[in-house]
Amino acid sequence: MADQGGSAHGIARASRVRTEEQRKVELDKIAKYRELEDQVRSSVARGDTGPDLFQLTSKLLRLNPEYYTVWNVRRRLLTSGLLSKPSAASSPLTASLTASPTATTTPPSAASSSSSLSATQPSHASPTAGRSGTTADSPVDEAKTSTADATPRAAAVVAVVAGQKKDFDILKSELEFTIPLLLDSPKCYWIWSYRLWLLQQVIDRLSVPVARRVWQEELGLASKMLTRDRRNFHAWGYRRHVVAQLESPRLGGGSMVEAEFEYTTRMIRMDLSNFSAWHSRSKLIPRLLGERGADDSTRKGFLDEELGLIREALNVGPEDQSLWYYHQFLILNLVNPVGHPTLTPAFTLEDRVTYVTREIQDIKELLEDYDDVKLIYEALLEYTLYLGQLQGRKLDGAEKDELAEWLQKLKKLDPMRNGRWTELERECGLVEMESFGN
Amino acid sequence: MDSLGDTLWDVVICGTGLQQSLLALSLSRSGKSILHIDPNNYYGGADAAFSLQEAETWASSITAATDNDRGTFKSASITKPDGNTGLSFPRAYTLALSPQVIHARSKLLSQLVSSRAYRHVEFLAVGSFYIFKPTTRSSQKPSLVRIPSTREDVFFTTAIPTKAKRGLMKFLKFVLGYDSEQQLETWQPYADGPLADFLKNEFKMDAELQTYILALTLSLDGLITTRDGLSTIYRHLTSMGVFGPGFAAVYPKWGGISEVAQVACRAGAVGGAVYMLATGIREMEMSGDSIELRLTSGDTVKTRMLVRNDKNAEVGNGVSRLAAIVGSPLKSLFEALVEGAPLPAVAVITFPAGSLMTTSGKAYDYPVYAFAHSSDTGECPVGQSILYLTTSTTPDAKEILAQSLQLLSEAIDADHIPLSLFQMYHEHGRGSVASRPDGSIFNFPDASLSLLFDDSTLEPVHEAWKQVMGEAEVDTDYMTFPDREGVMDDEDMYD
Repeated sequence: MADQGGSAHGIARASRVRTEEQRKVELDKIAKYRELEDQVRSSVARGDTGPDLFQLTSKLLRLNPEYYTVWNVRRRLLTSGLLSKPSAASSPLTASLTASPTATTTPPSAASSSSSLSATQPSHASPTAGRSGTTADSPVDEAKTSTADATPRAAAVVAVVAGQKKDFDILKSELEFTIPLLLDSPKCYWIWSYRLWLLQQVIDRLSVPVARRVWQEELGLASKMLTRDRRNFHAWGYRRHVVAQLESPRLGGGSMVEAEFEYTTRMIRMDLSNFSAWHSRSKLIPRLLGERGADDSTRKGFLDEELGLIREALNVGPEDQSLWYYHQFLILNLVNPVGHPTLTPAFTLEDRVTYVTREIQDIKELLEDYDDVKLIYEALLEYTLYLGQLQGRKLDGAEKDELAEWLQKLKKLDPMRNGRWTELERECGLVEMESFGN
Repeated sequence: MDSLGDTLWDVVICGTGLQQSLLALSLSRSGKSILHIDPNNYYGGADAAFSLQEAETWASSITAATDNDRGTFKSASITKPDGNTGLSFPRAYTLALSPQVIHARSKLLSQLVSSRAYRHVEFLAVGSFYIFKPTTRSSQKPSLVRIPSTREDVFFTTAIPTKAKRGLMKFLKFVLGYDSEQQLETWQPYADGPLADFLKNEFKMDAELQTYILALTLSLDGLITTRDGLSTIYRHLTSMGVFGPGFAAVYPKWGGISEVAQVACRAGAVGGAVYMLATGIREMEMSGDSIELRLTSGDTVKTRMLVRNDKNAEVGNGVSRLAAIVGSPLKSLFEALVEGAPLPAVAVITFPAGSLMTTSGKAYDYPVYAFAHSSDTGECPVGQSILYLTTSTTPDAKEILAQSLQLLSEAIDADHIPLSLFQMYHEHGRGSVASRPDGSIFNFPDASLSLLFDDSTLEPVHEAWKQVMGEAEVDTDYMTFPDREGVMDDEDMYD
């Protein structure tokens, strides 16, 4: 049976106790599955290419979407017969499509998932031949038929349009086929990979406006998946890929930065604790300000607003690491201007010091009501040290007292990391070397 | 044809209110012989929902009732403006007599799921909870403020200052762990006192923040105890998001609890129970091990057990209700404010104690609660809405409800006060509050007056079920049934 492919967030795995009856039912299911699998294998071995095999793959994939070999069988059925035959002039395209490795045989590691998803695209990219459309687009056809009779050419156009319609219907139906599978197994790499392959076929085979509409619907799907599980990183990476395609000239697109930024705002409103949304937001900001042609005062205003936003969020959720991550992103922007892109290049050293000092003050206010949240103390520590670095000076007595106090708190709240807190005490000159081992 | 009198029934159930109906559902696979009757000619009892015609008939019957057969309802009256107001035909409306909303984590829902009855009920989202804010010196008109109950709500609201937000977050966090040993120590001393005191002393909440919290409990006298208040708020918080983002409670389409009662009775009928409406008990006589009942239909039946509403109950002060059909969709009340949230069909508005004044100039000491129902509930045509207002019965109650209706309309949209197309007022007395087993007669308590479905209503049903099942009870799971044949499930994929 299709698995959740790793736990969905917040849902514990439950171990099940089976009755004899349930066990029999499951053995039954296993037998049926094995029979189905044998049918598929023997059909493929025989070299079948008909609709029966196609139906069999549908059944098997519904039961086990992780069976990537069967996805490949399905792909081959599509390209070798079900999808329209390309004209003789574009047969190199067909060859390149079937020859390229679509599904990787080893599961991509989690860290490189988004890059592997986008990596499937270049293998299909054949810019000029990719544009199906009227015969006028294909230079080889043009040359071949330019001196020919009008009738065969008109017939060729009709054939291409009919072929496109057929392809559209097939590709749409294939996309729909994957939907219930995705709803059941939202993190199964093979389904996403197949979908991406279908969508690439859409770009290669259909006209620009049609292809664009399909990709726009895809964005809708990505949003829906993210509503179901806000932290499904497949869906976030997927979304970025879809947006990149929609922005590309191949789909006649323009920048979608404003809409995507607004999307992160909506996701945050839905759930503050959303690393992916805050992360996306941080990545979009430089482009956003660039496109808006923001001058220095606009940039300052923007930074003020973002700091205000994250401050409000921390006010209600100081224990949330994703919020501190974003706050740190904004602080680092002030503290690390050299060699790093910054939102506010016109800020003087004095400006930066003012801002960091104010942030430290505001965070101290949180301690009035939240005195046992370790992330607050960690932030205060880190930012006080940044302040010193910024001003190129050592910490003064009062600051050292504060640091010592915070580190004491951290030792109580986070005793597992006592080694780190003790070392920090030493580094900041808060204890003598002889107290090693306290 | 078999006569009813030929069988020795296992149980006769009198009344089709929620509790009796759930009992029928719980027994629907037991094979017990059940005769289920109701003196009314409609299902639902005090939880019923009426078309306009039925409402008018009902109101007349309440007015015509003599002191002898007066039940828990009184002072029913209907107001309809003259002329063509846009009121549609009577069957286009379903007015719930006692509207309630059900928290997602309520036991009722899990019982409906395990008994499979949920398949026949469509649940709609109950969206925002609002506080009514009267006109003040700085604001010319009354307004509604949304009550924040999740971290994201608190983050987003502009109605609460920063420091107060921290206090509110601390309280919400406290409630989520309120039954842990540590938290218990903090609130035990306040357990039987008003929740308001606990909020003031332990969380330093000002009066405004206190009203926000109290409003989530829908407490009719505003004096809910700390124990009950924390339990209700806990259920609210943990129900948030259970069935989808942005809402904590649901409302059954087509009349609320009455729909649940009807579905339960239908399940009883499928299981073999015999149903007779417009049939009551004229006389009753104990004869040996069984009870002989002479029904108003003329039949005489013998049964091992009788389940009914408590006839000995004293009726005291309960609630006054006003149901008003208005000619506006009130769109602003039914917005989905969170990404991916369904459009709510019900909104809840609280008029805190003290926010309204009687005509004699006194502050009204009780809260008033309003449920706004959109046409998505199926209770009125598109373009109209129903406002159900409830408050404790006092001499000023009727006037206060009328005033609340007016002020609520102003608060929603002062420039477009919708026309009131039909209004029904009635008073619902408080009867017995506990079940009373009496040998082979089981007396259910009176219908709950609570606006939030109260899970304790389910316990008497379980008790009655145990008594009917007798020894067979030990081997059976209560309210847990497999689907009947012909129902779709995942297994079809294997064929």
